[in-house]
Amino acid sequence: MSLLSIPTNAAFSPAQLLPSSHPSVTKTLQRLSRASLLALTLDWLSDQNQESELTTPYLAEPDSEDDEQDPYPAAHSLFELREIYTELQSRKGSKRDVVDRILEGDWRNGITLYQLAMADMQYLYDHPTSQKWTALKLVKSESDVQNHKKAATSVPRFHPATFLRNLQREVLPDIKVHYNLDRYEKLGLTILRVFIVDSPYNTSLALQSTSGRRAMAFDTSRTFYVAFPDAAPYIYISLTTTVSTIPGSSISDNKSLRSLVLDGIPKAFSRPRDRYSLESTNLSARNLEAMVEKRGGARSNAAGGGWGIYAEENKKDTPLNVHLPTPDSLHEHDGEKEQAEKVTGMKRRIEEDVQVVKRRKLVARGRFGNSAKQDDGKGIERFEVMIRDPFPSSAHNSRDDTPLDMPVEETSNGNGTKRKGRRSTFDLELSKQSEDDVEAEGWRPNVRVVFQGKHIFAGVRHLVEEGLLDGERMPGWMTGDEGVSVGLVQSGRIKGFKGSGL
Amino acid sequence: MTDIESSTPEDPIEAQLDNEISDLQSQSKHPLPFLQTLLTTIVATLKTQRALQAATILSSRASKSILSHLKSRQPAPTQASQRSPEAEDGSPLISLATAQAAHNQENLYRACASITTFRIQDPDPNAVDGGNVLGIRIDVSSSGGKFARPYYVMLNKPWPGQDLLRVHRHTVPPCIPLASLAERHLPSPRIDDDIVKRKIQDLRAFVRALRREVVGYHNRSTVIKALRKTFKLDEDVKLKGRRKGKDRERVIADISAADAEAKQVRIEWVDGRVGRAIIGEKGEVLKCAVFGEDGRDYVNERRILGVHGEGTMDGIGERLLEGIY
Repeated sequence: MSLLSIPTNAAFSPAQLLPSSHPSVTKTLQRLSRASLLALTLDWLSDQNQESELTTPYLAEPDSEDDEQDPYPAAHSLFELREIYTELQSRKGSKRDVVDRILEGDWRNGITLYQLAMADMQYLYDHPTSQKWTALKLVKSESDVQNHKKAATSVPRFHPATFLRNLQREVLPDIKVHYNLDRYEKLGLTILRVFIVDSPYNTSLALQSTSGRRAMAFDTSRTFYVAFPDAAPYIYISLTTTVSTIPGSSISDNKSLRSLVLDGIPKAFSRPRDRYSLESTNLSARNLEAMVEKRGGARSNAAGGGWGIYAEENKKDTPLNVHLPTPDSLHEHDGEKEQAEKVTGMKRRIEEDVQVVKRRKLVARGRFGNSAKQDDGKGIERFEVMIRDPFPSSAHNSRDDTPLDMPVEETSNGNGTKRKGRRSTFDLELSKQSEDDVEAEGWRPNVRVVFQGKHIFAGVRHLVEEGLLDGERMPGWMTGDEGVSVGLVQSGRIKGFKGSGL
Repeated sequence: MTDIESSTPEDPIEAQLDNEISDLQSQSKHPLPFLQTLLTTIVATLKTQRALQAATILSSRASKSILSHLKSRQPAPTQASQRSPEAEDGSPLISLATAQAAHNQENLYRACASITTFRIQDPDPNAVDGGNVLGIRIDVSSSGGKFARPYYVMLNKPWPGQDLLRVHRHTVPPCIPLASLAERHLPSPRIDDDIVKRKIQDLRAFVRALRREVVGYHNRSTVIKALRKTFKLDEDVKLKGRRKGKDRERVIADISAADAEAKQVRIEWVDGRVGRAIIGEKGEVLKCAVFGEDGRDYVNERRILGVHGEGTMDGIGERLLEGIY
């Protein structure tokens, strides 16, 4: 630990110690479950982490005697310590004991920033929906695009070390940042944890003072995550409070620390003659899996909803398959499910015509494909659209001359059930003649529809299958085709900028 | 296949079997899970076999001639009471055979021409142009005589009264520059004051360029896989230990694609040297750099680049091996 604290513009060292009595340290560790806390501790004690000397525990001097007063006598070797924690794993006990043992016993000198970051990441993996992620697209700057005559992809290469060096260069000297990169193999993500402290010093001075404002430095809003999916021109940013912050805009003054780092991200990706900027993609969700599916490096980015059948794995779709494609398997599959439902379901369900139910399921299948299943774990919890269509009475003015007859959805809070509202039934033919002299634009009411629930599109699918929604007349944006969570609906479609698939 | 079921002679037996199985399943309230799964797998295997047989029989030349013979005989007026079962089954069989022939032809085009088109009806009731969507399917054969999952691009005509296309949906991964290709070959019209200013679109050029990118990407990944095989990087360590005496010492530690497009190859040597080769559009090695602890390794760089800079990507392994052994 350096004796002098000099203002600097370097980043925090990962070995920087935090006093173990600090409330935020206790808070971070206590958020974890006992099992993952013990797993984390064993990870700290693993050879790989011990080599880096960032997680060194407090060990007793070789010739010292055990202190009688010490409730957690220091271990004499790493091996002994590992034994202790492995044994704790197999024993029952309270989480509190483990936290106390870590903070007052084996890491009594303090927890490094690296360890704190590891604990935080562990919490993120345990609770994948604890953060709200917003997808942003990395796009080449306009002037650069014009210079490029050859076709070029816009997948910038992500090299973590270079990226962090460039990012640190963009961060102002009056804030101090600790970066921690972690690999999330399951989804093919590299997650960067950014921990920001409002201080010019990168020594313990910035972290130790517990008085007043400085203590706020450990507020969760000062920690945020950036996830980089493999082979995709997108990044996901966790924003705990503001949802529609466009980085770079000066709207979010109170979040200036975060916006500063956000500003740095596209610059860190850029190289001379190859500049990038961030662009909103109208998707934010809590579910990382859903994010990876809709803005990832695979095929499913521009084939949402029912179009997903073209993107998903299908061994039968090859020119070497001689079998005549038949929808047989679908029928059988649905039939089985139906039977199961009949046995367990409510009494009223049996009265319904089997054919009608079957037809509804087929319609739902046509609209949603294999997406939007209750248990696929890819739910979006909030979906918001603004409908900017002329009022149905003048719908004939819309571009494609289809009568707009849209069901109005209302959400009821609680268990995610949705009630169907009023359906406007205007005799279009009559109104057409009488309102010919109405101005071309017509009256456009400001309609906002918000869906909320655990898995919105699965809910809509369920409504279609139950016959509460007409699956054939339901507008396309209700199936999650576009892969957005915020959208503007015009002429019954979500307005895309240039080709919805691009 | 329902049509076949009602027509083939073994059908009653199978229907009986199905009935028996379902009866058994419904009778026993707690069926043995093992038996059930076994039965299900057996039934599934038999069903696939039957489908395969049906497809083979339907596409065979002999059955075609029989069917055409039947067809010619069918219009002849026969009394309803005297109708033979064959004649009754004639028409669904013929339609099935036609469908099978069409399917076979489509497969042939997909395998050989690799770009095929089809029509899709957009399920969205508000879809543009009445929901007419043009689907383009790009089939790419991967190594081992298999075909990769085809890539799809769906196009629609969002500008009323215009024959201009736009990419509606697609299943092309982001490492293939679909957007810039579409911008170049399928430019959107500029709309000034409701007057659509037409731009020339070239669908053929677009699809050709797209296929070129897709195939290039696949070929590069295949070559990287082959390189890994050359240096036995994917082999099991246990297996290697067993025949230690024969095996030559491992020199290359890892070969992998360094970027999304697989246009950069990263090569790691066992002794810590790291190399990076940049691959051009035609699979040629454009640039290469190899760094070791004591500076650059020009010998291996030259090997990777090949003589006169004409080295191809798939020759990297061979040229490196020459130097090693």
